[in-house]
Amino acid sequence: MPRRSANTLGHKLRVAGGVAISLVFLFPIYWMILTSFKDQVDIFTTPPKFFFTPTLAAYVEYMQRADIVNRLINTIIVATGAGLLSIVVGTMAGYALARIRLRGAATFGLLILLSRGVPPIALAVPMFLVARKFGLIDKHITLILAYSTFLIPYVMWLMRSFFMGLPRELEESAMIDGCSRYGAFFKIILPISLPGVLSTLIFSMILAWEELLFALVLTNRHASTIPVAIAGIAGDTVNGANWAALTAVGTITVIPVVIFALMVQKWLIKGLAEGATKG
Amino acid sequence: MSNDTGKSVRQRPALHPGRSSDLLVRWSFMFPAILLLVTMLAYPIFYTIDISFSRFDIASFGAGEWVGWENYIEVIDDYRFWESLKVTMIYLVIALPLQVVLGFGIAYLINAEWSGRGVIRALFIIPMVVAPVVAGGMWRMILDPLWGIMNYWLGFLGIGPLDWFGDPNLAMAAIIIIDTWRWTPFIVLIATAALLALPKDVFEAAKIDGANWWSTLWSVAVPLLVPVIAATFVIRWLGAVKMFDIVLAATYGGPGKATNVINLFIYEEAFRSLRFAESAAMAVIVLVLTMVLTGIFLRASRKLEELF
Repeated sequence: MPRRSANTLGHKLRVAGGVAISLVFLFPIYWMILTSFKDQVDIFTTPPKFFFTPTLAAYVEYMQRADIVNRLINTIIVATGAGLLSIVVGTMAGYALARIRLRGAATFGLLILLSRGVPPIALAVPMFLVARKFGLIDKHITLILAYSTFLIPYVMWLMRSFFMGLPRELEESAMIDGCSRYGAFFKIILPISLPGVLSTLIFSMILAWEELLFALVLTNRHASTIPVAIAGIAGDTVNGANWAALTAVGTITVIPVVIFALMVQKWLIKGLAEGATKG
Repeated sequence: MSNDTGKSVRQRPALHPGRSSDLLVRWSFMFPAILLLVTMLAYPIFYTIDISFSRFDIASFGAGEWVGWENYIEVIDDYRFWESLKVTMIYLVIALPLQVVLGFGIAYLINAEWSGRGVIRALFIIPMVVAPVVAGGMWRMILDPLWGIMNYWLGFLGIGPLDWFGDPNLAMAAIIIIDTWRWTPFIVLIATAALLALPKDVFEAAKIDGANWWSTLWSVAVPLLVPVIAATFVIRWLGAVKMFDIVLAATYGGPGKATNVINLFIYEEAFRSLRFAESAAMAVIVLVLTMVLTGIFLRASRKLEELF
């Protein structure tokens, strides 16, 4: 319970406990990054090594394999494409839900919320069949559109609650001054919402960056993404999991995302809190 | 549109439904989202339902003739489907409460006021953004029976060596540990905000009345937190029913079928065994089950809110 007591034993224990538990949660990532700089001899040894001569061998070896570089490029294309598409479409719809009176829009909003309960596998099967029929398998655009199915609802709800927090007078006065509805939205509302929009965009891109199921089903070679590669390395039961490859590719996947997430952490925490309390 | 809104200063355009041209403009904000979600979300769901009532036609690679409930009967007779549902249930029943309790407990710890509090809170974002498939892979390494650092440490406690991926129960435990590691931080962040929003004066009053820590927790804090706890549970539930990546990377459903959660099972049936019609039927059953349970949870959380 929030107690004011500054330096009691209980308070000190709480601080120590908090620090300890955060270290426990960070350790696996630290261990993965550490392992990615080991050579095979240092990986397969007991006791596990914390100090060793670091090597970039795993990175050099697996980055040279064309499919990793290709997959990285694909993942960037798809995450950016899906993020941008969803932020544009979702922000406008979120604004409409928050501010514009539309007959039936509330029902639509509720359906969108319900859609978060749809198991992706129920979408993956028909998407695969339809994409196959129209020769859309292994295309970036297919994956981008597939990702929009969960990103647009996500953006809509975050931006909706964001727009509801803005004072109504903003666009009212703009429209009284002769702004059109588009003008009010693009010239007044959007600029002041830019931090929120950008943070939501970054988080949408992270979700797309990490997606596995659709990528597994809808791509096979040219448009395949990094998570598919990791699933492949981890699931290699013939040669046993290649830990050097796994940790190197894993580190490459995680580092950019962590940097972006920490950049938007303030907004992220706020958005999460609002999502839970108002959703 | 707004060509005459400038004339009358009293008019409040945002609040009044306007004329037909304005109607078009207003709907235009919503239209792209509706178009995309109908084609990419609603249509696939209907197509899945269509396939689930048809014989799958390999030649056209689509829904063939109508066979009524045949696929559903086949699925319901399939013991593997029920086993997979059972596995999924076990995972959900253990992991969800564990993560909610841990999440709020950790939030309490890291909310202690000190200079490093903000940093600690920010650090909890990191596990949350690690791709689940990476989480599964790296924990597979940590829990490796032979070389993993977990068994090495457990050795000091006189435990083990544990065969994390060879023993069915341990494999389930491993999945729950990985999932809890990946998702508890998410709950911690929500809980942190919720704890900060608690009214301080109520706790001051409890303290003045001589309430001890435990009774303050149960009779003041928990009742105030019930709506957030319920909402967190529902959000986490919606994520957990989609469990797929972690299992795929860590155990691939094994050993045997001990961790073969429903999404992985349907995936395998569809894309490895090419039994699309049966998979569609299973997907529809899971979809309905999820919707019904989500509805019940939402109802229950409303009720809880009223009670407290």
